[in-house]
Amino acid sequence: MRWGMVVNLIKCTRCHACIAACRIEHFLPMGMNWPRLIAWETDVPGEELTTIPVRCNQCKDAPCVEVCPAEATKKREDGIVYVDNDICVGCRYCIIACPYQNRTFLSRDKDPGYFPGYERTRFEKAGRKIYPHTVGTTEKCDFCMERIDAGLAKGLVPGKDREATPACVNTCQARALTFGDLDDPESEVSKLIKEKNAFQLHPEYGTDPSVYYIDGKIGNAPSNIAPREEQTASHMQHLSTMEERAKQIFGKK
Amino acid sequence: MSRMATRQWMTTHEWMVKPMHQREWIERRGIMIWIAETFTSLGAGLYLVSLFINSWWGLLVGWLIIMFLKLPLHIAYFGKPWRFYRTLPPFSNAWKTSWFARGILFSVFFGTFGFVQLVFGQPDLANLIGTSIANPIYYTFGVLAGINAVGTGIYGGFIMNYVKGIPFWNQGLLPVVFILAGVADGFGLTMGIGLGGGDASVSWAETGSSYLLIINILLIIVYLISARYTSEVAKISVQELLTGPSAFMFWGGLVTLGMVIPAAVSLVSLFGEASTVLLIIAIVAHTLGAFALKYCLLKVGIYRPLLPKVAAY
Repeated sequence: MRWGMVVNLIKCTRCHACIAACRIEHFLPMGMNWPRLIAWETDVPGEELTTIPVRCNQCKDAPCVEVCPAEATKKREDGIVYVDNDICVGCRYCIIACPYQNRTFLSRDKDPGYFPGYERTRFEKAGRKIYPHTVGTTEKCDFCMERIDAGLAKGLVPGKDREATPACVNTCQARALTFGDLDDPESEVSKLIKEKNAFQLHPEYGTDPSVYYIDGKIGNAPSNIAPREEQTASHMQHLSTMEERAKQIFGKK
Repeated sequence: MSRMATRQWMTTHEWMVKPMHQREWIERRGIMIWIAETFTSLGAGLYLVSLFINSWWGLLVGWLIIMFLKLPLHIAYFGKPWRFYRTLPPFSNAWKTSWFARGILFSVFFGTFGFVQLVFGQPDLANLIGTSIANPIYYTFGVLAGINAVGTGIYGGFIMNYVKGIPFWNQGLLPVVFILAGVADGFGLTMGIGLGGGDASVSWAETGSSYLLIINILLIIVYLISARYTSEVAKISVQELLTGPSAFMFWGGLVTLGMVIPAAVSLVSLFGEASTVLLIIAIVAHTLGAFALKYCLLKVGIYRPLLPKVAAY
């Protein structure tokens, strides 16, 4: 079993909901980002920015696991790479070694509280009991492994049952994120990777990331993937649907 | 207007889209890594040269640099310094895969073996217990300390060379640069030990320093040329060194202080004896050059962008 994720850039509406969901799920400090949405400007004049959601790739051959001098970064049997913050010494070698730069060191200035200069809110205090976010250590996305473990214990299937699925996947209103078992050829992620010719970021590093991307513009760009115009049309259609819904909801007021 | 507004809003997320500098090990608290790495070079290099010429004072100064300047700085940089012990066996077996863990082990072994060597090499103590007892211990621990001094001097090169995302560092030559630059720094400091009245020959150290200087100049030229053709991002790193924001440190610090001035003093001593003042200038310039070398290497560590479209970098 190896958990993995497919990010469909054609469907992604760049709404930042996955980032917000992660922040809420893990009570992330102000300066901490586990997933990010990066913006890429093409050389074509007038063309809109392309944004791509990125997060820890949970690499099969993770450099961060190899370089950690304290063995604080560990890889589970299901492929999830996580940091044990009770062991991490904060040397930041993992941050340097990650070619995808998907790790963040939690320094004091990145954790000023949601209202700097004031006492932490009850929400923050409650969150810290669940996720301590130790200052002086490194953090990163762990595919919401607590949700996966709790879900599996209840007999649920991660990727299918919401309770056992990462928060970002659950919250994605465009269904651009798909989660599942990469080792299962019948799983939705495996099918998507095969059918849509999904690609990994920088496969030449030999890290074998567990996060795949589907897109018609960048990467392998096979002919069966929608070209850029269609992607934009897809976005516009989705946004107009959202607009309609908003009118239905708020128009009644 | 709306496009401009969108772009301003997006700017904060323009991260790993274009080649991006590593900052953790050179900016803010990262400066400690730069200084610690330079002390590693100076201390290990001095220890190795002193082993070769059997200079007890050189061994002592080299050992002190590693134990009281390099190690404390490295540990102070940690986010959780008091967990330092967790990097060592039996708490961690990371030395099997991590050059960082290996480096810490090398430093600890070096500190221990070096201490024993220094104790039994101390002339008064050696005379007290008898040279027949002291000498075998001194030389045995000298070999052990020497091996670990090599490890201590070279591991930083392997740490950086492992990073695949930074093509300028991901070069096989980097560990060689580290150890040879360290030995050259060692020769420079050995001159200082000799000038300070220690048990080292100044002329011998100066000759050694000249040879190492030539080798290091060639090595750095080869390194820059090979990096230049590795990838577009490594080319940017080289450009930053030669003509970009790090050019002052490269030309002023590394080339002028670290190479030209020591080379000029060596040239003077070829045609006659260089004065003490000139030698002191050469030693200080050489040491400042060592700081400049590590600064340059750390400062131009640039990551390849994330997106495949720009993978040509």
